[in-house]
Amino acid sequence: MISLFEAAWVIARRDFVASVFSRTFILFLLAPLILIGFAIFFGTMTDAQDEAAAQPTVAVVADSATSAALAAARERLAAGTSEHSFPVLRNVAPAERVAVQAQQLLADEHGAYSAVLSGTLDRPVLTGPIKADGFVARRLQLLIDDARRTAALRAAAAVPPPAALERVVTGQAAGNLRMIRRGVARGGQALIFTITMLLATLLLSTLVEEKTNKVIEVLAAAVPLDAVFLGKLLAMLGISLVGLALWGGTIVLTSTFFLRIFQDWVTLPDVAPAIGWPIWIVLLILYYTTNFMLLGALFLGIGAQASNIREIQTISMPVTLLQLLVFLLAFSVVGRSSGALAMTAYVVPFSSPLAMIAFAAQSEKLWPHLLALAWQAIWVVLIIRVSARLFKATVLKSAAGGSFFSFRGRKRARAAA
Amino acid sequence: MQGHLAIEASGLVKSFDGKRAVDGIDLAVPEGSIYGILGPNGAGKTTTLRMLLGIIEPDAGRRRLLGHDRPLEAARIVGYLPEERGLYPAMTTREAIAFMGALRGLPLEVGRKRAAILLEENGLADYVDKPIKSLSKGMAQTIQLFGTIVHKPKLVVLDEPFSGLDAINQGRLEHLIRDEAAAGTTVIFSTHVIHHAERLCERVAIIAAGRIRFEGLVSEARDRLRPQVRLKARNAEGPWRGSLPAGARHAGDLWQFELPKGGIEPLLRALIDGGAGIEELSIERPGLHDAFVAIAGETAAREMEASEQAELGEAA
Repeated sequence: MISLFEAAWVIARRDFVASVFSRTFILFLLAPLILIGFAIFFGTMTDAQDEAAAQPTVAVVADSATSAALAAARERLAAGTSEHSFPVLRNVAPAERVAVQAQQLLADEHGAYSAVLSGTLDRPVLTGPIKADGFVARRLQLLIDDARRTAALRAAAAVPPPAALERVVTGQAAGNLRMIRRGVARGGQALIFTITMLLATLLLSTLVEEKTNKVIEVLAAAVPLDAVFLGKLLAMLGISLVGLALWGGTIVLTSTFFLRIFQDWVTLPDVAPAIGWPIWIVLLILYYTTNFMLLGALFLGIGAQASNIREIQTISMPVTLLQLLVFLLAFSVVGRSSGALAMTAYVVPFSSPLAMIAFAAQSEKLWPHLLALAWQAIWVVLIIRVSARLFKATVLKSAAGGSFFSFRGRKRARAAA
Repeated sequence: MQGHLAIEASGLVKSFDGKRAVDGIDLAVPEGSIYGILGPNGAGKTTTLRMLLGIIEPDAGRRRLLGHDRPLEAARIVGYLPEERGLYPAMTTREAIAFMGALRGLPLEVGRKRAAILLEENGLADYVDKPIKSLSKGMAQTIQLFGTIVHKPKLVVLDEPFSGLDAINQGRLEHLIRDEAAAGTTVIFSTHVIHHAERLCERVAIIAAGRIRFEGLVSEARDRLRPQVRLKARNAEGPWRGSLPAGARHAGDLWQFELPKGGIEPLLRALIDGGAGIEELSIERPGLHDAFVAIAGETAAREMEASEQAELGEAA
């Protein structure tokens, strides 16, 4: 008998070559690019439209001095905050009857005013469907107050010069460090989760090819089914790593040569994860691998029970929900290293890689990672073995290929036997 | 025969949801022989072969494959062509053959070289880089057969290998089976087409309803029936009629009956003396088909014929 790993290698190599040297792999590689392209295109379009629609415009019906004072106040305050912090002010020359003019302006679809400000700085009048504590009312109040205060100080010739802010630069503050490390922890989790979700679900359908082409019996007669499952898993992991390497490489090259972000080679941010950037990145790759293998083995096992694409589609949603639940569990324990929930996230094999990459960002201890990786590897082996046995018991024993998910298929299988 | 068996099986039992598909099968396949498992569809042939190869586990009984209790331990020296043929459609013929060899431990490079040789030797060199999906069904089956033998196994197991093949490919397959056996390889195949077994096999197992009805040499199966005498007599009546054994049947002036135990000479003498007026007389040894009918029964024979007809229709 050829060894388990030798057999797995034969299967993995076949699957890897069949996938990577196919036209569809080019689409697979281009998928993120297409996704990003669409996101940027639609994002830009909708942003431009949304910005215009989201920021309220107020018609200022006042004399030129009042209008100028308000515009100056807005410019001052927006410079210290943001352009979006205040309504857009548009000056309109006052008519004879300001109340009527205000109603006309509010009804003007072209102007699209949210409110009309009239009167003077000392007696301002705001007309429109405005709540007292709403954005427009509160921000206009700020502008009016600032304009009045500035006018009063200027009149008293008491405008103070801007105070020079002296900066004393220190190392990281504890609060700041904790916040950033949580960000790193969650970023790592999100990265592993997203990539795994995109790629591991492909494993649901990978054995359908062998069942459809009847190759499975050739494989089952020659090598242990564990090797078939392991080989398929390794092939998909390899394919995903090739994809990641190409995507990552493209991003780095693009950044280096075109955006010139990494002019002096890669410099990692000053705020490192507790375990340090190099080890954290190695752990990120290792936990991605174990996460992919764990979920992949489970999906492969579940998918192997399905006899056609329709069944695969049916089980895809619950499987995605399961992934999401696991992610939420791991996400919720970021920042907690003890407690029942945290321990659950560390110990449950499917959430363990996500919880541990977060742990690596927040704790400098290395040994728990060795333990966790070994624990996760044991579960990969267990899931593969159970999946292979289940496959042999429920699928291979019947000539008609009864499916675990289809009662009719199982009935047919019994009848054929 | 012990010690020279490629396959030994005793008391193999397999049930599917309470129904026995295989019910206590014993087999002894000598090394280097061509061995046929004969039986109609649903007799339990495929289930038996799957159990022998370890694809499914028997509920009871034991089997040894080339001296190994666990069939996968012998995987490097076994080749298997399943009833439901399976190849990856996008693979080229050479890669498909080499891949099947690699599954049995043959290095891929060696497999590729041997694949090219096999294709060339069989006049299929033009197909070496053709994808499987571009081949006819018969051609794809031939490629899979090459994949079954590319690693030079000691035992080749073929499940209904002739099924779906046209006459040319059937001839090619028979030739290949004989070549393999001549090289010392044990070949065991299942079939519901008796003449394949009759032409190729030294030994057969006749299986019906999950049980072995006969296991032994083809000649032994045929020897279970007495030779058949066919007689054409000029005279319809006469004393010679008294010399015919009970059970003799006729259609017009043509009579057919089993050769009496006393042999041909007393019969001939009685026919001549009784005034039969012999026009034609022949003694025919029973074929495997006759033996099958006698051993497995008329029902099984009819099922075999139905399976054969269905297959002929499929091949056409």
